[in-house]
Amino acid sequence: MDVRSQVSMVFHLDKCIGCHTCSIACKNIWTDRQGTEYMWWNNVETKPGTGYPTIWEDQERYKGGWEKGNGKLHLKSTSKARVVANIFHNPHMPSMDDYYEPWTYDYQTLFNAPEGNDQPVARPVSRVTGEYMEIEAGPNFDDDLGGSPIYAMNDPNLEGLNSEQREQLFAVERLVFFYFPRICNHCLNPSCVASCPSGALYKRGEDGIVLIDQKRCRAWRSCVAACPYKKTFYNWHTGKSEKCILCYPRLETGQAPACFHSCVGRIRYLGVLLYDAELIDEVASRPDDELVEAQRQMILDPFDVKVIAAARKNGIPDDVITHAQMSPVYQFVKVWKIALPPHIEYRTLPMLFYVPPMSPVMASRENDTISHLSTDLFHDIDESRVPMQFLANLFGAGHEGKLRYALYKQRAVRLYRRAITVGDIDVETAARALREANCSPEEADEIYRLTSLCTFEERFVIPPMHREEAIQMLEDPHGHRQSVGFGFTAGPRRGL
Amino acid sequence: MSCREKRTRHGAAILTLFACFLLSSAGQAQEAANTFRQSCMSCHTIGGGKLVGPDLKGVEERRDREWLLGFIVNPSSVLASGDAYALKLKDEAGGVIMPTVVGMTRERAEAILDLIAGESQLEESQFAGLDIGDEPFSEADIERGRQIFRGDVRLANGGPPCLSCHTVEGLGGLGGGRLGPDLTKVYERLQGRKNLASWLLAPATQTMQPVYAKASITNEEILPLVAYLEDEAQIGTADTTTAQVIFLILGLAGAVLGFVAADSVWRGRLRAVRRPLVRGER
Repeated sequence: MDVRSQVSMVFHLDKCIGCHTCSIACKNIWTDRQGTEYMWWNNVETKPGTGYPTIWEDQERYKGGWEKGNGKLHLKSTSKARVVANIFHNPHMPSMDDYYEPWTYDYQTLFNAPEGNDQPVARPVSRVTGEYMEIEAGPNFDDDLGGSPIYAMNDPNLEGLNSEQREQLFAVERLVFFYFPRICNHCLNPSCVASCPSGALYKRGEDGIVLIDQKRCRAWRSCVAACPYKKTFYNWHTGKSEKCILCYPRLETGQAPACFHSCVGRIRYLGVLLYDAELIDEVASRPDDELVEAQRQMILDPFDVKVIAAARKNGIPDDVITHAQMSPVYQFVKVWKIALPPHIEYRTLPMLFYVPPMSPVMASRENDTISHLSTDLFHDIDESRVPMQFLANLFGAGHEGKLRYALYKQRAVRLYRRAITVGDIDVETAARALREANCSPEEADEIYRLTSLCTFEERFVIPPMHREEAIQMLEDPHGHRQSVGFGFTAGPRRGL
Repeated sequence: MSCREKRTRHGAAILTLFACFLLSSAGQAQEAANTFRQSCMSCHTIGGGKLVGPDLKGVEERRDREWLLGFIVNPSSVLASGDAYALKLKDEAGGVIMPTVVGMTRERAEAILDLIAGESQLEESQFAGLDIGDEPFSEADIERGRQIFRGDVRLANGGPPCLSCHTVEGLGGLGGGRLGPDLTKVYERLQGRKNLASWLLAPATQTMQPVYAKASITNEEILPLVAYLEDEAQIGTADTTTAQVIFLILGLAGAVLGFVAADSVWRGRLRAVRRPLVRGER
């Protein structure tokens, strides 16, 4: 057993209102520099939709992630030989247009436009070329366009849906969409790290955050092609690639990452998990339908005496183990089993988990009164307006089993709480639903509490980072201070 | 310092001056001979008959010294001035203009004219040129010439092989160098084997002269080279404009083929995603 710790995340999609506050918080802190205008380390997508960059989930085009061949895992985008052959031309690179061309506005014309018949407008100006441009796309151009024939109908997750299901999904009065906020998943088997010819990417030993060393990055952009979630970006100004850093400077000072901290719907949870690193290779090679369960098996019980002993042997501090025991992520993923990894079929073993959404209640407006068309508020999961197959493609590698379990449990908790708080559902029905969902009333209470009443401290259980010890693994801090001082003395620049 | 010592020193000084004078006049004659050998002999003989340029035996009987000096120092300006005699010479040389010799001054030209005058008196001048006869060359000569040209057989004095800068047709592969002119038809350009042999004896162009000044081609090597180039001139065709155009077209075709090959290698590359999607092409 090779126990390591990983700062992991859960996003509760039923709580997401699609306000993009997380994206703005991230942009203001990290990507408001020249060369990063087009990057959204955090973005919120509408599903069904094509996302950012456009149709990023279509790995037949983008070639992200891993694939299995002769019993071994291979990067889809590159290999040791191909990385040399393609080093000056990576054939699977998204173009700027597939992200979008970032722009600002020429606000001055609002003030100094000459007098004329028309209202002056602020023309859009490209933040790449500095010239006037026509806006063709944006990072959330399909926002709320759940029924769009261009965007929603080209969502790769619609694969396997029959035409009837598709029709339902896009029918008037049944139209449905939900939000899908994304950051770097800080995977256990990151393909970006594996693809880098310069060895510039690494996974931090103490907390598993995946980072790009700005001094070693040589702009080969292999990581951009290799990441199936398209969450590494190339900064054209510094000539280095960049990605979500999970706000590690904030984590190191005990603060939640900016997108977590600012989340209006309080959908985000963060905590440390202990996992067995020996199993990574084996788990990532499992057949598609076993992947979700296998990844859960890798995550270790932080209360298990043997796990604690092995963690101590690996140098994981006691207070990190304590925090692992309090981790909300452990509850969602391992205990309640209602949080699932996104697209685990890419085999990068993402460590950001999503609680899949129940279909929202459908409402319509008649004579200025809003009414629910559905009389059955807590309808059966299979009657959900979002087809199960769609969610299974997104969170279950195409297999419904784990997803059905998670949704039934959520439904049971709702019925149970409705029976207690409103009483229009009889207790017997609620109890039966709980039994069917393999959920005890105590567990339902806990799920309810962590979903609805959670405090800041319950959502973000940030382990102590012990940077002082982490640095000592690499060098003597006193010697380091005397020789160079702390930190970078200059920002990253093009060239060596 | 004593009187006697002073006198001795004066004597020594006078002796030195005298020695210098003697040496310098002998030196000047020697230098003129070297210059003639290096710069003139490729086109001129003294009493050996006409090569590309005229035989210079008794040249001062044909033109006065002043005209000759002007022409030697700067031939092209005399030609440019429209001098009738100079133009006639150019015609006789088949359009070849006498190159301006690097570092030629009036003084050196005088010394060369003195040399020519002196040599003209002799029965057999040392600058009569190389006579390699008129009988046809053997196959062996031609083959050996090819080997020398290609550098398979090294030049005895260590000079670089012709191939480094020149090409001839039928050399095979990528041909020879392109720094110097194509030598396929050089035999015809220089009008015969005697001219060609003289040229090889002391190549006079600005590029070749420094290269071969200290590593001259020996008489035993000149014969096969002339044989080879004579053979080439008979069977080969020079790299004409047509050939250059063909080369250009082949190059362009190669480039296009290269692009096609790259396109097929990277056929599966990621092209635009969003635009075709919005245009409804997916």
